[in-house]
Amino acid sequence: MSASAAKGVREVPSFCYNCVAGPDLMTVRVENGIATRIEPCHQAEAIHPGLGRVCVKAFGLVQKTYNPHRVLTPMKRTNPRKGRNEDPGFVPISWDEALDAIAAKLNDIRARGLLNDAGLPRVAATFGHGGTPQSYMGTFPAFLSAWGMIDYSFGSGQGVKCVHSEHLYGEFWHRGFTVTSDTVRTRYLISCGNNAEVSGGVCAVRRHADARIRGVKRVQIEPHLSPTGACSAEWVPIKPKTDPAFLLALIHAMLFEHPRSALDLPFLRDRTASPYLIGPDGYYLRDPASGKPLVWDEITDRPVPFDTAGARLALEGRFTVADAVTRGPDDEIRPQRDAAARTAFTAMADAMAAHTPDWAAGICDIPAGTIRRIAAEFLENACIGETIEIDGETLPFRPVAVTLGKTVNNGWGAYECCWARTMLATLVGALEVPGGTLGTTVRLNKPHDNRLKSVQPGEDGFMVAHFNATSQKDWMAQPTGRNAHRTLVPIVGNSPWAQALGPTHLAWMFASDAPKEWPDPELPEIWFAFRTNPAISFWDTARIGRAMARMPFIVAFAYTFDETNHMADILLPDATDLESTQLIRVGGTKFVEQHWAHQGVALRAPAVEPLGEARDFTWITTELCRRAGLLERYNAALNRGAALVPLKGEGYDFSLATDQAHSVETIWNAVCQAATAALSEGKDVHDLDWFKQHGHYVVPFDREDWFLTPTMVRQGLRYELPYQERLLRVGEELGRRLHEHDIHWWDSQLSEYVAIPEWHDVPERWVESIRSMGADPADYPLWGITTKVMPYTTGNNAGIPLMHEVSANLRNHGAVVINATTAAGLGIANGDWVEVRSPIGATQGRAAVVQGCRPDTVVIPGQFDHWKTPFAKDLPFPSLNTVVPLSLALTDATGSGADVVRVSVRRIAAPAQAGAA
Amino acid sequence: MTRYVMVADLRRCVGCQTCTAACKEGNGTPPGVQWRRVLDLETGTYPNVNRVFVPVGCQHCANPPCMEVCPSTATGQRADGIVTIDYELCIGCSYCAMACPYDARSMVDHAEYAFGEQPTAVEATRIGRERIGVATKCTFCAGRIDAGTARGLVPGQDPEATPLCVNSCISGALRFGDIEDKDGPIATLLAENQWFRMHESEGTEPGFYYIWDKGAL
Amino acid sequence: MSQTVTSRRQRYWDLRAAGNFIGGGTGSGLIVVAAIAAVAGEPFRLPLALGLGFIAAGLSLVWLEIGKPWRAFNVFFHPRTSWMTREGIVATVLIPLGAIAVAADSVPAAVLAALLAAGFLFCQARILRAARGIPAWRQAEIVPLILATGLAEGSAVFLLAGSHAVPWLTLALLAVLAREAAWLAYRSGLGGTPAAARALGVFATPPARLARAAQLAGLAAVALALGFALLLAPGALAAPATLLAWTSGVLVALSGWGVKALLITRAAFIRAVVLPVVPTRGSGGRHARPV
Repeated sequence: MSASAAKGVREVPSFCYNCVAGPDLMTVRVENGIATRIEPCHQAEAIHPGLGRVCVKAFGLVQKTYNPHRVLTPMKRTNPRKGRNEDPGFVPISWDEALDAIAAKLNDIRARGLLNDAGLPRVAATFGHGGTPQSYMGTFPAFLSAWGMIDYSFGSGQGVKCVHSEHLYGEFWHRGFTVTSDTVRTRYLISCGNNAEVSGGVCAVRRHADARIRGVKRVQIEPHLSPTGACSAEWVPIKPKTDPAFLLALIHAMLFEHPRSALDLPFLRDRTASPYLIGPDGYYLRDPASGKPLVWDEITDRPVPFDTAGARLALEGRFTVADAVTRGPDDEIRPQRDAAARTAFTAMADAMAAHTPDWAAGICDIPAGTIRRIAAEFLENACIGETIEIDGETLPFRPVAVTLGKTVNNGWGAYECCWARTMLATLVGALEVPGGTLGTTVRLNKPHDNRLKSVQPGEDGFMVAHFNATSQKDWMAQPTGRNAHRTLVPIVGNSPWAQALGPTHLAWMFASDAPKEWPDPELPEIWFAFRTNPAISFWDTARIGRAMARMPFIVAFAYTFDETNHMADILLPDATDLESTQLIRVGGTKFVEQHWAHQGVALRAPAVEPLGEARDFTWITTELCRRAGLLERYNAALNRGAALVPLKGEGYDFSLATDQAHSVETIWNAVCQAATAALSEGKDVHDLDWFKQHGHYVVPFDREDWFLTPTMVRQGLRYELPYQERLLRVGEELGRRLHEHDIHWWDSQLSEYVAIPEWHDVPERWVESIRSMGADPADYPLWGITTKVMPYTTGNNAGIPLMHEVSANLRNHGAVVINATTAAGLGIANGDWVEVRSPIGATQGRAAVVQGCRPDTVVIPGQFDHWKTPFAKDLPFPSLNTVVPLSLALTDATGSGADVVRVSVRRIAAPAQAGAA
Repeated sequence: MTRYVMVADLRRCVGCQTCTAACKEGNGTPPGVQWRRVLDLETGTYPNVNRVFVPVGCQHCANPPCMEVCPSTATGQRADGIVTIDYELCIGCSYCAMACPYDARSMVDHAEYAFGEQPTAVEATRIGRERIGVATKCTFCAGRIDAGTARGLVPGQDPEATPLCVNSCISGALRFGDIEDKDGPIATLLAENQWFRMHESEGTEPGFYYIWDKGAL
Repeated sequence: MSQTVTSRRQRYWDLRAAGNFIGGGTGSGLIVVAAIAAVAGEPFRLPLALGLGFIAAGLSLVWLEIGKPWRAFNVFFHPRTSWMTREGIVATVLIPLGAIAVAADSVPAAVLAALLAAGFLFCQARILRAARGIPAWRQAEIVPLILATGLAEGSAVFLLAGSHAVPWLTLALLAVLAREAAWLAYRSGLGGTPAAARALGVFATPPARLARAAQLAGLAAVALALGFALLLAPGALAAPATLLAWTSGVLVALSGWGVKALLITRAAFIRAVVLPVVPTRGSGGRHARPV
């Protein structure tokens, strides 16, 4: 250590949270004040599931720091006209001038009111990928909290670039904002396009690699052969967007082609609503006195409330119920006499009857025999009846899982896929038990750090669910945000994350084409943007760009110039990853596959001094609050826990005085001490200096807490499956509300509110969208889809040359991936320039001719087509975003859409401006 | 005797290029020069297709063809098997690059930088002028090995004595160590799994093993 | 098992390096023919000097190519195994000896120089043969090809710089025929590996086809010139005969240089990674237990 110190070498502990698959711990090597390289955090090998390693993206952080294209002074726009072809005329200004200008706007707004005449927030903010910017914005959340109402509805890809339906339904059914396999134990994994080896992060990559050595069988169902498909035991090419048919056919095979003993009958009976009786109107038959759902007691041979002690619940069957009620929409209590009833399980079986493997084969282009074999292998590996001991607890062992990929998991068809995936797990009792299908964390429920604590008893024996009101009295007829999430999407709720999980493209669409039923959704007067580039990362980027140009005042935290901050009025250079201070949570269970046996906190401290005039985000926030008269509220928010943890708790008090502006170090010193005191229940209190030495602090996290089912058992709760009575009711109520207000443009979305999902022609919706744009589907004969490569996965890395260089070792980087036979038919050779065209436009790039892609599909990885971001703008890369339309018709009931479009492909001459990439 | 070898478990590798980036950053190689990289290969015909990720780089052959052809004796071989290049002797004829069956050697004849004409602050500190105009390749991070073993650390087990690519590998595909340590992890790993070496027919005896399945040979 | 080709073209030897093989081959061939002329009592000093010039020019070009030209002396450090060292050593003896032969008009020195030139050419052939990274060079047929091309191009230049009388036209024709035979043998050897097969693709490109057409035209021109010289009395129509012989010499030499430039700079693909097996990615075996 001393020898190193003598040579001016320091190793600074830090973390990388550039994508949701993190955070991971790392070490920054600093030589003579310059960060020279990133290394893993080897000291964390024993506590981090990825052995203390970080993925390729982290290695770009050195170049990111020293990128000569960085914006290193605050700047203001001098050209009032905004648009892609307008030179913003940015000129450097002082921090004082920049912050005073913003504060003046804020003060003016506060004087007039936080909401405009339409009831919409005058201040809006957009942050990039998956909540990760929050781990780099210091105390900015305390400013947001101090300010009050803010519109988060202008998305940067939410609902399109995430596993949107999984977020909503996963959290509803089993507190899984994202859903994964219990990879360390599973034996058989059906992965519908889940690209764990690319976007699962270091923990997933390590866990899956270990699983392969152990002998797991992963079957990858996807149109092109991704690295995950490559690393699977079997690749099954499926026609895009037909995954619901495949999954429903698996359920059919398991229900109709195998004995019931192949299923986990006790789990279905005791842990799900399978025995609940469904009345003729599609709602649960309820006990007239208590309103509780009825089940059929096989002992007394009569209906009883579901929680009747000593009853033996019939799992399946059809019965006649003499006297019951159903509760329809708007709390309509409907008496039911001698009602024909069937159990929810039977209702599901009835609905699945037509979804045979032979039927699905024609839709998915997968042989029926393959579907049958996969269903059989799934059952065979489910180990019904077996148990395993985890930390001294005996739990069910069901080592089979189903995971879904992004384009499977959003847009039309995603509801069916999410339901079918969860049902596949449920049928064999593999939901939230060792080896099975697990949720990871919660964002629509609280608390975020342990999802098990969000489990509370709700209605009808299920967990509580926080839906937006659809009753006549409480429904939000007037949107409270520009994407109308509380108005249109009941299931998303209204937690702090909910708005950004609404249909975020609607905010952009309504900015120019507002529904006539609502007041003009006047644009926000200030829009804050950080680590986000919606002008690149959304659909129909040209249209998004035009909408953005109409924003009156944009404050962009700017790393380099980019396509979004090109429209900004003020650019603020924040200190980046290696230059700034923040404490964040690590461990426990987080998004994707971060399943730790520890939990704690990790510090990012400056490894190097900020370049130029870049300032720590916490300093910027404090100064902004001071100038905007928010200091007291801001400090109070910090004390409440807006910067990670409450500063006061049982046995400790590190509260900050609310009447003064505190330094960055003072604030984080208090957070460090409060966090360690809270984690250790007062035993350990570590300050900022301690963290600068040690980097992270963890305490054990019970591995049993990876699984929700033990909590459900303890609370006597049932998973709200298979029958979706609640969704059925909510859908009917929402339809009534909308129609009462003469809103009919959401009707096709209402069709998704069904109690048991069945197949509807999902891919045909994309063909139909071609017709609706006035084009002939025959002119667009191929499916265009997207995928990722790890160096760019959800990281804002397009301007980092190292990422480009290493990605070029992959065949699909910056290319249009096309099947060899299809390419030959179009006269396209590997490396040829091609144009991919949809009715809204075209994108160009080089062809990567491969065997590992369906003949009817082309794949454009990543998100490029930059025209402003330095370095990236010189990459002659195609982008699917350029050719995917923003479309209400292609938006599902949850407000999400998928990266899918019908395209044509043709060979073209090399564009004149194409560089030698 | 010691012979250091690299093992790449092809069952694990996902082609993420983390090793490529870690090597580039750790060794300060200029744009386009990759001492470690991972190939993305495809075999078969649709729909029966395999895609395989293959880490490559200098194989530190026991009989290195590069050393045989090198006219200046710049290419050498250490007692521990590491094939070296003496940057003070090398004339930069690139003949070794033609002789290497593994496409493992690079040469740049002028300084190049990631962002164009000017070096970044970090590049300015690590230009490595002695490496311009001469052949370069993977060194197995010999400097780390030497510094580590001098402190009693074990290459392949102690990170400070282990090549950066191995340290960085997120899937656990890359392993490193002394194959002559008969009870050591590398010898054990190779004894318990099936492996091949690339272009064995050339008689190069590479020090780079590719594991592809379980079970002893 | 079909596999996507992954071989890369070699990135470091450009036309300067090709120039060494062109100059070295032509120069060596020319020196050998000049020595034969010397033994035959013909004037040899100009072609011998020119041959030395070709070799020196080739070596100069490669000197310009190497990364550390001021360390060029290090090339002599590895005679035990490096054919490049050996080439350098032979050249350092050949050039002064050849210069002596020219200056002193010494037939024995010319003969010794020719032996060294042959050795030099052999070294060049073995340089390529030892390039185990490049299958298109690695194959055994490269050695006769390099020898035959050197002789053909040298004898062709001799028609311009020395004599184009019947014996020299005959020698040139034989050398060009040998070059054709060596080429056909070499070309048929390609295809054994994916990397070498990619060389075939290069030889099918328009520049390569043009060079090959010129080679065949050169062959025809030499044959025509020889026939012309044989059928017509010496002296009669000397000017057209000379023109024909010179044309054939130019065609043979330039076309040969073209093919060689392609061989060094374009048709040189580094051996591709070949997977003998596909790795197992999990199994699904019922016996797989969690670790």
